[in-house]
Amino acid sequence: MKINVDYDRCEGHGLCAEQAPHLFSLDDDGELTYHLEGQSVPEEQATKARAAIGSCPVAALRELT
Amino acid sequence: MLTTRAPADVPVYGEDIYSRSAILDPYPHYERLRDLGRVVWLSKQQVYALPRYAEAKAALLDDQTFRSGCGVGLNEPTNRLSRGTTLNSDDELHAERRSLVAHRLTPRALRKMEGDVQARATAIVENAVALRTVDGVADLAVALPMAVVPDLVGWPAEGRDNLLKWAAATFDLLGPLNGQAVRQIPTGLAMKRFAGTVVKKRLVQPGSMGDDVLRAADEGRISHDQCPALMIDYLAPSLDTTISAISSALHLFAAHPDQWNLLRDNPALLSNAVNEVVRLEAPIRAFTRKVARDTELSGVRIPEGSRVLVLYASANRDDTEWTDPDAFDITRDASRQLGFGHGAHGCAGQGLARMETQAILRALLERVERIVAAGEPSWAVNNIIHRYERLPLELIPREDPS
Repeated sequence: MKINVDYDRCEGHGLCAEQAPHLFSLDDDGELTYHLEGQSVPEEQATKARAAIGSCPVAALRELT
Repeated sequence: MLTTRAPADVPVYGEDIYSRSAILDPYPHYERLRDLGRVVWLSKQQVYALPRYAEAKAALLDDQTFRSGCGVGLNEPTNRLSRGTTLNSDDELHAERRSLVAHRLTPRALRKMEGDVQARATAIVENAVALRTVDGVADLAVALPMAVVPDLVGWPAEGRDNLLKWAAATFDLLGPLNGQAVRQIPTGLAMKRFAGTVVKKRLVQPGSMGDDVLRAADEGRISHDQCPALMIDYLAPSLDTTISAISSALHLFAAHPDQWNLLRDNPALLSNAVNEVVRLEAPIRAFTRKVARDTELSGVRIPEGSRVLVLYASANRDDTEWTDPDAFDITRDASRQLGFGHGAHGCAGQGLARMETQAILRALLERVERIVAAGEPSWAVNNIIHRYERLPLELIPREDPS
């Protein structure tokens, strides 16, 4: 799976970073970084990645199949 | 009122889920709705109810089909009157209005407030612990948002005493036009009138969110006519909702001391504990969307022009989504709950709501051994907001506060 991040929509609530800290983090300015931009999510992290997608309050994360 | 016949092949629920008794105890109704089907026709309100998680979330995500611009309330007069608000708009217009103030509510902006919010929460909790027997609503849940939100919005001091009354009316009017809503019309109009005065006389505090709105109007980005509605848009929903979350948290931890101990032993659960509170006792029962084109949800045809009722409070207790949904369990992953809505219209103030609720709980964890019920609580009667009116509690202090 791959994840598309809509940075315009992201408001930095940070729930994704709580769900999947290896994939998402917020910097000191509250800006989101997605660490696997353009890459596939390794199978062992897929469950956490999907939990992160489901937790985004403004639906800024989308699973690409 | 336009009367439609029940659509063929859709299960019908004939009871009024906005009667006084249903408002006070909504969950048995929601359970019956979920048992009836994934899409259920409410004959009393003439809308399609979405009582289960998957359909509620799907509708919130598909904001091209399920529109907010014709209102999210259950009656047309309110839906017409609330045009021009962030709640009641779509697409670019919505994004523009939201961005007017949303930058105030990002984690970055909130981080600057965190120390202040925690200090106020700590002072409120210290005062409550000294009293020992308190009303969890007045003494804890109301005290913090009232100390934080009006300053953030820049609301003038003389308009603050009425805020809770006004906000409750604003919410009641988003429900069906029942007696509960009709009684609130004068109060709702009084808030609108006062907001009009605030805008006209520029009574907002400089540098506040309200000031941002006025400046946007000065710069021609929005019209001055829209300013009162936009102020109410951010003020009214920031109080009752958070009061609901804080008071429900207090009640749940009083009823489940094992969960309180768990949280004290593992404070890292705090963030998820707030999600779990909002899952189990969603502060907002439901809002509607208008269907912009013929569509289908889980095989049920929903025609253009109809309204759907997205039941957040029911979706959050759907047993096809949650294991043991009526149980309060701060260790379950509750982050996908729909109590703050979801998608483009997801609650803009949820970062602040989470911060306030966490701040109160954090201050209590440091000082209180147990929270104990000290009498029968009572629920507030409101078409939209689900919160306690009174919550008698005894706060048993920790012997050696750290």
